[in-house]
Amino acid sequence: MTEEEAFEFVKHTLKEERITPYRKDEIEIVHSVEDCINCGLCINHCPVVAAIGVDRFTGPRSIAVELSRSPPEFWSTADKVYLCTGCGTCREVCPKNVNIPEVVNLVRARIFKHRPDLVPKGLHVVREIITKYNLAFEPWEDPEEKVESRDVRLERLGIPYIEDIIKTGAEVLFYPGCQAEELAQEVREAAKVVLSYFDVDFTLIDEMSCCGLPSELMGDDETSRKLSALLKGKVEALGIKKVVTTCAGCTSMLSKISQRDNWDIPIYHMVEYLVEEVGLVQISEALGSTSEFSDVTVTVHDPCHLIRHTSRRTMEDAIEILKAINGVKIVISEAEDSCCGGGGLVAYHSKDVANAVVQENLVAINKTGADRILAPCPLCTAQIEANLFRSGSSVEVDDLMVFIAKRLPKK
Amino acid sequence: MNTTPDVLVIGGGMAGIVAGTIAAENGLEALVMRTGQSATAYSSGAIDIIGYPPEGLALKEYFPEIELPFKTPIDGLRAILSLYPFHPYGIIGLKAEDNESIEYVIAHVSESISWLKERLAGSCAALVGDLDRNIFPITALGTTKPTCLLQETMWSDTLNAHPDNVLIFAGFSGHSEFDAQSAMRAYLESQLRTGEFPHKIGHCEVEIAPFGKPYNISSIELARHFDHEGSVDHLTSALKAHVDKLGATHVAVPPVLGIEQASQNQAQIQKELGVEVFELISLPPSVPGFRLQRAMDRVFKKAGGTLLIGHQAKSATIKNDMVESVVAQSPRREVTISPKTIILAPGKFIGGGLEADETGIRETVFNLMPVTSSLYSAEDVRPTNHTNVYSLSPDGHALFAAGLAVDMDFRPIDADGIEHARNLYCAGSILAKYNYSMEKSGLGVALNTGFAAGRNAVKMVREAS
Repeated sequence: MTEEEAFEFVKHTLKEERITPYRKDEIEIVHSVEDCINCGLCINHCPVVAAIGVDRFTGPRSIAVELSRSPPEFWSTADKVYLCTGCGTCREVCPKNVNIPEVVNLVRARIFKHRPDLVPKGLHVVREIITKYNLAFEPWEDPEEKVESRDVRLERLGIPYIEDIIKTGAEVLFYPGCQAEELAQEVREAAKVVLSYFDVDFTLIDEMSCCGLPSELMGDDETSRKLSALLKGKVEALGIKKVVTTCAGCTSMLSKISQRDNWDIPIYHMVEYLVEEVGLVQISEALGSTSEFSDVTVTVHDPCHLIRHTSRRTMEDAIEILKAINGVKIVISEAEDSCCGGGGLVAYHSKDVANAVVQENLVAINKTGADRILAPCPLCTAQIEANLFRSGSSVEVDDLMVFIAKRLPKK
Repeated sequence: MNTTPDVLVIGGGMAGIVAGTIAAENGLEALVMRTGQSATAYSSGAIDIIGYPPEGLALKEYFPEIELPFKTPIDGLRAILSLYPFHPYGIIGLKAEDNESIEYVIAHVSESISWLKERLAGSCAALVGDLDRNIFPITALGTTKPTCLLQETMWSDTLNAHPDNVLIFAGFSGHSEFDAQSAMRAYLESQLRTGEFPHKIGHCEVEIAPFGKPYNISSIELARHFDHEGSVDHLTSALKAHVDKLGATHVAVPPVLGIEQASQNQAQIQKELGVEVFELISLPPSVPGFRLQRAMDRVFKKAGGTLLIGHQAKSATIKNDMVESVVAQSPRREVTISPKTIILAPGKFIGGGLEADETGIRETVFNLMPVTSSLYSAEDVRPTNHTNVYSLSPDGHALFAAGLAVDMDFRPIDADGIEHARNLYCAGSILAKYNYSMEKSGLGVALNTGFAAGRNAVKMVREAS
């Protein structure tokens, strides 16, 4: 047997034994589990455990320690591991920095590869959409209807429409993410308005494609990496210097893949870009004296992918921006940094779990007495809005960017 | 992104939050940075001042007349200050004249206790106890331990007072973290040995199902469950049958009476059943630890401090004997902080302030020199050489007394006894020369060194401006 034949033989055996060797960038994650001291602090803080109990969702620790079994039988976690919303609370509270959210992705990737029958059906539907369109949501059948929906939204919000700009050599690529591209179009448009107002030299992407986060979250590692490679090609072809996005999930995913795949391009969430690159002085000048709006009391929701997967400083930026807006009073909700349940693709197959997780947020939001809740993430916004509406609350919901765009003086 | 606070505190457990609050209450801009939770959140929530000397009961060989555990924290402080001058409590006393140092330290500890009790009054971690005595609460294992301050839901002052008292240990079906029967047995055994009251002790199990099933229940679930309005009614009626049957005067439950509502729940059960109810001390990570951290964070924020979670200090620049900046890392971002003063309170091995492997012990941010319990450099020390063969040895493990050596202002010093930087202070369990697990002094030392380091930092900022 030649060496090559031997290699092929072993590879075949691995498949038969349902083993996928860890990739280089996964090794560090696997090693982090070795530090677990089994204390269980993560279980005390997990929002899914809080919402549905340890009997239904055994908690972060039980998923992490699965890796210490030899050989790990990932499929035995299949009835639990898809209930994780990926909020990252466990990693943050862990005294040993065990990277449990990434362990969840890693386990889901093994199940997806070797036991796709155990992957919830709802996720297979999403997978089909992604592989067909390179987008996390099915695109509009009729492009005219998409335009109509956009215009209705913009008119209702009083946000002007700005033509899409697509060009090479711009300073900034504005990447809206799938949700703002297909569903929450007002967020995409609002960001364009804000960037134009501050004279940012920006471009959009020619043909929008997904950052790969949803694929990674369902365990479809192959598609996820394919999508990130596709996006890297587009970004390089545009020759831009910075990427700005309005989606929390895209922010953390792009930050991750740009580092992993050597993009050498800094990634910003819009709130970071506004504070760091535009500057609070300019923002205050623009928003500090608008008087056509009545005073409003707002509260905020901190998206997990911003605060726990990127940096908690991002929400400090968001608050700084809000403080600069005339007539805005900010009240902090007790559950501002608690997961809304919208993450981890949980809502696609276990909506009851996602909606149980958001209950804590709803109670806290109503308690603030705020008129409006703002979140710099279209996914959180949608999840909170749907559940507030269902509960009969009068609190209104806006994506933060929409709120800002509405209040910018017309140029 | 950069910031320039007056005081940067690295670590947000008891020591860090206290130091940060002192700074904020003095009108300074205070930033407390921590990775997630602290070892305080992880603790039993009992605030021990001093229960034993660092050697534990072994000290009795040399001083047979000494009473151990110490009857009062004041006795303990006197013994520590006479015998162990480099204990962190001793360092506090270096500020006073030689013959006044003991009284100085007792006054300092007394002041810090009053300060903390005042801040936590009315919170979910409101405290009882004072410096005049050590109290001996019961643990979930049925043993007792000396402590000074305890959350008010965890203490009954009348339990040991009357021979007719009847105590019931009440557990929950399907709650694997507490077994009422074995706790009862252990406690009864020690009561019969010491002759202390109560002698009539029973146990019972009640069924509470936060998610509809009476099995596989965790403490945190029960605590959250009892926070919901009206959910304690069921517990009250379930306990009633057992209380009536045994004629109980006291009921001990695991520490799960609530996160925010524990005190109200305790009051309600007591009122309806006419008995005293209290929570036991449990193993980490406990609900009272959770409550304590939560309440402390609120104290700090109320004082005007900024809490930055999810960031870990990675490195620092020192120039002209001053720390210029600290670089901290979040999952996907980096931040440079250029503070006027820094208080290093990251904890020890659990908190991450010290790291140890077979090549030695290291301080993780500034690469300061840690020392062993005998004040030698610990940089090349094998940690296993400083542990006992038995994990639960009555002599403890000297490894836990390793840490940073400091000057009288709590500034870490190098091998020549010179401070590393003029604006760098430290507090809490990263300090050397005390063995918190042996001494039962963990949160007490954290409180007092945080208090002292915070004041020193305030003084330095004021003098510089």
